[in-house]
Amino acid sequence: MLEQAFRTELSRQCQSPIEFYAEHMDASHFSNKELYQIFSDYLAAKYAGEPLDLVMVFLGRDFKLAEDLPPHVFPKVPAIFLTANELEVPEPLMRSGIAGMVARYDPADTIALMRQLQPDLQKIVVVGGVSESDRKTLTRVEQASRATPGIEFEFWTNNVIKELLEPASELPPRTALLMSTILADAAGQTYYMSQSAQLLAPAASVPLYSLGGGAIGHGAVGGAVMDPAVIGMDVATVAAKALKGALPEPRISVRTNISRIVDWQQLRRWGISEARVPADCVVANRPKSLWEEHKRTISLMVAVLLAQAATIFALLVQLAQRRRAEMQIQQQRAELAHAARLSTMGQLASSLAHEINQPLGAILRNAEAAEMFLQRDSPDLTELRAIVADIRKDDQRAGGVIDRMRSLLKRQKLERTSLDIRELLDETLTIARSDARARGVQITIETAAGLPPVLADRVQLQQVLLNLALNAMDAMTNSTNENGTSRIILGAERDREGKVEISVRDFGEGLSSERLPHVFEPFFTTKTNGMGMGLAISKTIIEAHGGVIRARNNPDRGATFSFTLPAERPAATAAQPSRS
Amino acid sequence: MSEPTVFLIDDDASFLTAISRLLRGMGFAVRSFDSAKAFLNELSTTARGCVLVDLKMPGLSGLDLQKSLAQTENPLPVIFLTGQADIPSTVQAMRGGAEDFLTKRAPKEEVAGAIRRAFERDEVERLKRSRLRELRSRLATLTDREQQVLRHVIRGQMNKQIAAELGINERTVKLHRTSVTRKLRAPSVAELTRLCQEVGIEPRRDPDKP
Repeated sequence: MLEQAFRTELSRQCQSPIEFYAEHMDASHFSNKELYQIFSDYLAAKYAGEPLDLVMVFLGRDFKLAEDLPPHVFPKVPAIFLTANELEVPEPLMRSGIAGMVARYDPADTIALMRQLQPDLQKIVVVGGVSESDRKTLTRVEQASRATPGIEFEFWTNNVIKELLEPASELPPRTALLMSTILADAAGQTYYMSQSAQLLAPAASVPLYSLGGGAIGHGAVGGAVMDPAVIGMDVATVAAKALKGALPEPRISVRTNISRIVDWQQLRRWGISEARVPADCVVANRPKSLWEEHKRTISLMVAVLLAQAATIFALLVQLAQRRRAEMQIQQQRAELAHAARLSTMGQLASSLAHEINQPLGAILRNAEAAEMFLQRDSPDLTELRAIVADIRKDDQRAGGVIDRMRSLLKRQKLERTSLDIRELLDETLTIARSDARARGVQITIETAAGLPPVLADRVQLQQVLLNLALNAMDAMTNSTNENGTSRIILGAERDREGKVEISVRDFGEGLSSERLPHVFEPFFTTKTNGMGMGLAISKTIIEAHGGVIRARNNPDRGATFSFTLPAERPAATAAQPSRS
Repeated sequence: MSEPTVFLIDDDASFLTAISRLLRGMGFAVRSFDSAKAFLNELSTTARGCVLVDLKMPGLSGLDLQKSLAQTENPLPVIFLTGQADIPSTVQAMRGGAEDFLTKRAPKEEVAGAIRRAFERDEVERLKRSRLRELRSRLATLTDREQQVLRHVIRGQMNKQIAAELGINERTVKLHRTSVTRKLRAPSVAELTRLCQEVGIEPRRDPDKP
C-alpha cells in the first residue's frame, strides 16, 4: 500500500515516465551477513548497466542490515530511506549523506481515542516486546501514560505472547489492552502486528487497541496509527525533489502522519456505540451498506419500481379520467334521453291536449246536462246519478293523462317494478291513440296468453314503445298506401329462451338493406326533421334492462321493431309443460 | 217524414254519452254513432237534421265523412267538433261546406245555435232539392223536339225564327211550344227561362257565334 501510494504520487509529481525496480531482501527473516553480501553483489551486478537516478530504501525492522547497503552498492546514486520505527537513525546512515524519513507512532493519541470510545475506562494493559525497538516504543507509551491521569497502566512487556492469552481473557471490565510493537517477545519470537493481534484479540475479555495500523482488521478495535498511503505520498514528494537534484533539509525528518482508525466489526463486538467515534476517525471494515454493495442493482430496481409506480399512477390517473368521461357520457346520455323524451313530448303535446280536452269536454257537457235536468220540476235522479258518475270517471281520465305526461317529462333514474305487458301496451295505445287518430292509423294489440310480468322501468319502457309506435306511424305517413293498411300491431309473446318479446309492426315501406344495420346508431335518421336519437336511446334503455332490440323487414310489407325483456320469474315458466 | 235529428258521431264513448245527454235535455232528437262508417250505413234518404262529428277519428275521419256524405242523396249539413282546432283542418272543413266548426268545449248555446242553423239550412236545402227533383221530372216528360224548341224559346227567338232554324213549319213550332208550356206549367217565357236556369238548362247557342 505504501509502495503503491509512493509510485502513484511520484509519477504524478514527475511529468516524465519513471521506471521502477523493486528488490526484496526480507532481512527481518534472513539476517546473516553472507546473505547480505550475496544480495549486494547480486544487485551491483544486476544494475551495472542501468543508470539509476534514485535509490529508495524502505527499511524494515532492522536498520543494521541497511547500514552500508546503498552507498556500497550504488555509491554515486542519491538514496532516500524510509523507516517506520522508533529507533534512532543509525549513525552510519546519518553519515552516509543520504536523506530519509522516520515515521513515528503516537501512543498519546491512541490513548485519547481509547478514552473517547470507552469513557468509563479505568485501566489500560500495555502489551509490548523486548527488542530494542520495542523498548523505545514502550518508553514513549510510558511517557504518554504519565500524561494521562485517572487511568491505571499495567505493562506486560517481558512475556511470551502466547502465555498472555489466559490473563488477557480474565481482565475485568472497564479495562482495555493496548498493543505496542512486538518485534520480539520474551521467547524471541517475532510478530507482525497483525499476528499478535490475531492471537490476543480473540482471547481477550476486553477491547484491544494498537499503535500500528497492521493490527487493524485483525482484531484490534483501533488506534491512532500511521496511514501507509499518506506516508507513501510524503516520501514520494521527497523523492521527486531528489530526482530534480535537491535533497531535503533537514536530511532526516520525523513524520507522525497519524490517522485514527477504528474497526467497525470490533465496535460491534464490544458494543461500542458508533456515536462515540470522533468525527476525524476513519471507520474501517464497515460492511458495505446494501446501497454500496448493490448500487447498480438497487438503482436499477428503484428505477424499475419508480417506472412501475409512475406507470401505475398514470394508469390510475387514466382510469380516473376514463371514469369521469364515462360519467359524463352517462350524464349526457341521460340528458339526451331526457331531451328525446321532451321532443317525443313535443310531438305528442297536441295529441295529449286533445286527449285532455276529450274528458274535459265530456265533463262540461255532463255538467250542463245535469244543470238542465235539475231545473225541471221532477228531475230524473237515476239520470243525474249516471251523469255524476260519468263526470267523476272523466275527471280521473284527464288526471291520468296529466300523470302520464308528468312521468314522461320527469327525468328519472331506472326504477324497476313488476310490469304487466298487456297493461303497458294498453297504456302505449292510450297515449298514442290521438296521434294515430290524427294520422288515420289504427293501432291494435296482439298478445299471447299467459305472459309473465317483466321487471322494468315503466316510464322508460313506455318511452321506447312510444318511440317505436311513432316511428311506425311515420313510416306509414311517408308511404302511399291504400285504405285499410294504415295500421300498427303492438305485439307481445314469449321467445324460445322464455324471454318476453315485444314488437311494433308497421305496414309501411320497410327499411332498405343499407339502412337496416344502422338504424340503432346515434344520429342516424331517415326523417327530414329527426334527431336520429330515438332508436339509439331506445337501444340504450333496452340494453340497460338486459334485453336486445332489433329491426327486421316483414316478409309481406313494412318493418317490425322488437325487443326482448327477461321475464321477472323465469323459473315459474320452466315448470310449465312445454307445448312443442 | 221524421223529425229533425242530430246525428252524433264520436269514437269517444264518454263524450258521446255526455253530449247526447245534453242535447236531448235541450230538446233535440239525437242519434249516436261511434264511427262514421256506422253512421253512413244507417243513413236513410229521408233522415233530416244535421251531423255533429268529431274531426279526428280513426278510420274515416270527420273530413272523410263530409266528402262521402256530399255524394249521397241526403247531404245533411255537417258541424265539426274538435278538441282544438288547427288551421289546415278548419280551412279544409269550411271549404268542404261545413255548416260550423266548434270546439268540444264551446258554450252549449253556441252548439245549440249551430244545430238550429244547420236544421234550418237542411230544411231550405231539402226544399230546394225536392223542387229541383220535381222540375227535373217535369223536364223529363218533354220530347226531344220539345226540348230543342224550349232551348230556342228561352233565347227569346220568335216562332218564325225557330221554324227556320229547325227547318220545320212555324205552326208545328207553335204546337210544341204549347205542349212545353203545359208540361212545365210555365205560362210565360219569363217563367220558362227562370225554370231552365234553376235546373241548369243552357239556352241554345247562336250557331253563328259558337
